[in-house]
Amino acid sequence: MSDTRPSRRSEELVLSARDVRRDYPVAGEPVHAVRGISLDIARGEYVALVGPSGCGKSTLLNLLGAIDRPTSGTITIAGRDISSLSDAEATRFRLTGIGFVFQRFYLMPTLTAAENVQLPMAEAKVPRAEREARTEELLGYVGLAGRSEHRPYQLSGGEQQRVAIARALANRPALLLADEPTGELDARTGAEMIEMFARLNADGATLVVVTHDEELAKAARRVVHLRDGVVVDDAGRAAP
Amino acid sequence: MLKARRLGALLAALVLGPGGVAAQAPWRSITIDERLAAAAGLTVGDRAVLATGAGAPGDSVIVAGITRRGADPSEIARSEFRVRLHLDHLQALTGVGDRVGRFAVATAPAAASVDSAAARINALAFGFRAYRAADVAIETSATFRVVNRFHRAIGVITIVASAIFLLCITLLKVDERRRDVGALRLLGISRGTIVRAVVLEAALISVVGSLMGAALGYGASALVNWHYQGVYSTPLRFAIVTPGIVAFATLLSLTLGVVAGLLAAQRLVRQPPLELVGR
Repeated sequence: MSDTRPSRRSEELVLSARDVRRDYPVAGEPVHAVRGISLDIARGEYVALVGPSGCGKSTLLNLLGAIDRPTSGTITIAGRDISSLSDAEATRFRLTGIGFVFQRFYLMPTLTAAENVQLPMAEAKVPRAEREARTEELLGYVGLAGRSEHRPYQLSGGEQQRVAIARALANRPALLLADEPTGELDARTGAEMIEMFARLNADGATLVVVTHDEELAKAARRVVHLRDGVVVDDAGRAAP
Repeated sequence: MLKARRLGALLAALVLGPGGVAAQAPWRSITIDERLAAAAGLTVGDRAVLATGAGAPGDSVIVAGITRRGADPSEIARSEFRVRLHLDHLQALTGVGDRVGRFAVATAPAAASVDSAAARINALAFGFRAYRAADVAIETSATFRVVNRFHRAIGVITIVASAIFLLCITLLKVDERRRDVGALRLLGISRGTIVRAVVLEAALISVVGSLMGAALGYGASALVNWHYQGVYSTPLRFAIVTPGIVAFATLLSLTLGVVAGLLAAQRLVRQPPLELVGR
């Protein structure tokens, strides 16, 4: 499905992080959640960030997604330095530059599947006809063409996650970030989700997934191991 | 058949029925109010004897009309009946000539002004004192003005209490959506969009709520009026819902809703999205 592809696969860097640090003050003492991580991700890569709880992988994902700001270091996504964006600029960047898939789906309960997918496009001022056509296409891509008018409570966990994926792809982001996307799913649905991510990547999407799920990590082409806020292993990294 | 009905106030007895009454010609006509008609079972054309007291000699009269009482709040609690008869008839019946306490003068539209008419009446004789109808109405409604102020005070207290309650409820209801708002912020929905959505929803709820409240108030006032108009035999409206009241209520509700929605939304969108989703 060509339309789900953010752009043509190439060796062009989509993400470049340089010496990124994130400290949190806790009870007056700084906690070093991320300690000088540098990371390059090329267009079309499928990267899994793995590590024990508290190793800083979710913090790193938040930094890469412009949800949080690094204490020091720079992060460039699709050629844009996002490490010092204002709140409004970061919000706008998340809308158009990044696609998010969360563990708990975060679908709006009062909206239908189609309306949930349309939401980021409506905010980005995509014309109605165009966003309706794209919604139909995306829901078809994730296998929910017949369930566009269902509300989240009428959908299974796996179906809700697929709606969330369709929503994440709505504005054709340069990068798709997923935080424990199989964490709330049973084994069978989790396996379907792993297949879905593999298909997305095969169709050109650049993926970064934070996971504890070994099966999901195995499906990634590149696995970045973190411990105590630093990268300890980067298996499958493309040669410079 | 002869039957007697007790009357209050000026005329103490009204003896009814065609028989047992000394015929007098021509029969004088009277009008009675609805309350007396209902109590005595009289209709237009019935004949009766009008006397100043039970057993006293009276005049044979014919009921020429049944009048409806004016919507006067000062009269609703009085249980008296009202009979209208010509002045000469009243004087003859009571045996006192010139004992009129008060009378009303209607001025024709083309006649001299009310003030000049009052001045002329006042000049007729010592002891005459003419008042404008509006002044009499103001004087007699002083008690009701106090009651009205009391009602307004209750209304203001109710509105203030409701406003605080509405604000608290809105804050709580919006706060219940903190996870949704956090998710929207994570997805890149701007603060402005979220605030506008919350305010729009609060405004819609306020308008729909106030219109539903107005409809409920209209129904309740109709019920209250129906009940008490029956109890007091009066056309007086005890509760009214006017278009002005509905417009005021809707506008007030809309203002409160918008302010409450704005405060609640601003409070929420100032927090970091990760905090809102509980991470």
